[in-house]
Amino acid sequence: MIVSSGGEHLAQRGLVQKQAQALARSAPVIFQIREKMLDAASLWMLCHEIAPFIDAAGSLLTVNERFDIALASGAKGVHLPESSCPADTVRKTARGLIVGQSAHSETAALKASSAGLDYLLFGPVFHTPSKAPFGPPQGLEQLQEICEKVRIPVFAVGGITPDKALACIECGAWGVAALTPFLDAGSMPETVNRYLSFMPS
Amino acid sequence: MSLPRRLLCVITDERSDPVELARMALEGGAGMVQLRRKTASGRQLFEWAVRIQELCREHQALFIVNDRVDIALAMQADGVHLGQQDMPASVARTLLDPEAIIGVSVSCAEEAVKAAADRASYIGVGHIFPTYSKDKPSPPLGTAAIKPIRNVAQLPVIAIGGIELKNAAEVIRAGASGIAVISAVSESDDPAAAARELVRMIRQ
Repeated sequence: MIVSSGGEHLAQRGLVQKQAQALARSAPVIFQIREKMLDAASLWMLCHEIAPFIDAAGSLLTVNERFDIALASGAKGVHLPESSCPADTVRKTARGLIVGQSAHSETAALKASSAGLDYLLFGPVFHTPSKAPFGPPQGLEQLQEICEKVRIPVFAVGGITPDKALACIECGAWGVAALTPFLDAGSMPETVNRYLSFMPS
Repeated sequence: MSLPRRLLCVITDERSDPVELARMALEGGAGMVQLRRKTASGRQLFEWAVRIQELCREHQALFIVNDRVDIALAMQADGVHLGQQDMPASVARTLLDPEAIIGVSVSCAEEAVKAAADRASYIGVGHIFPTYSKDKPSPPLGTAAIKPIRNVAQLPVIAIGGIELKNAAEVIRAGASGIAVISAVSESDDPAAAARELVRMIRQ
């Protein structure tokens, strides 16, 4: 399960910190910091502040795109958007980090797979306002095709409510990612559990 | 890596092709190019940076990346330039080669002292004159601010903000090691000639 932080959408002050604290009561997840509105100083400060909590909770902290901030803050990984610095270069430069990448097409997915990355985030599978800028929904069939073709774990993203998680797993996805259902930080552990209950381990 | 004296640093603007701008600036004798494009994707920045670094090597000039330490690490730039809203220089120092150039923007003595403690290689002091390149709510520092800021930091000063041909020499006389410009080169009809003139002016 990948949880994307979502402070930028609602500009909720302190949301990411609350989410990070709630992870202490939750099953382990990949917690992806995706705060594009923050400048690098604030982003570094935020990651540096929450990294120990995420570690203690047994979850993995990843930072969107900025592997320098991931390396310097004690995060465990970096998540690259499709239009990032070349993935193979990041892989070589950011030694020790988990490196994942978003893909919104089959071409991008195959490229990420051959760059030897650790995982792929594929979507949007279903319609969701937060992923609408990344194109129309790809659907489950396309997800299945990607999962069959790439050799690395694929996480499905985009409109994936807990009840839709099973369908993604049945298509061959390794896991799912979501942002919106976690905007209520207080109920995060229960939301994670609801997702996990739909996904056979 | 130490900073050459009487240095012209050309910073890329938000409009021009940064590689072409760098090529012309280097032809004109710029000693350092800084890639700065806030709206570009990581991939685009990386591709530009690789090509500008090559051009800089051909001209024995330095190449630094604004803000994006990740890009600088990925393509092994000579260094980075960090604003007050960017990653702290002390943190960047732990990631970059010990010899890498780290410039820090400062606008007062307090920030300059912090930059020195953070092991910056130089401080970018500004804005010296009124400028339209960046939205600056604060008044210009004026050339008289250069020496006191340089003295508290004990670091080379690259002056920035509204520097053009008519005031470049004054900035150097006031104690700056070099000047950084955006529009004085990028907005010129002949950027190479503009850079050449600025270099001549600061080396007088």
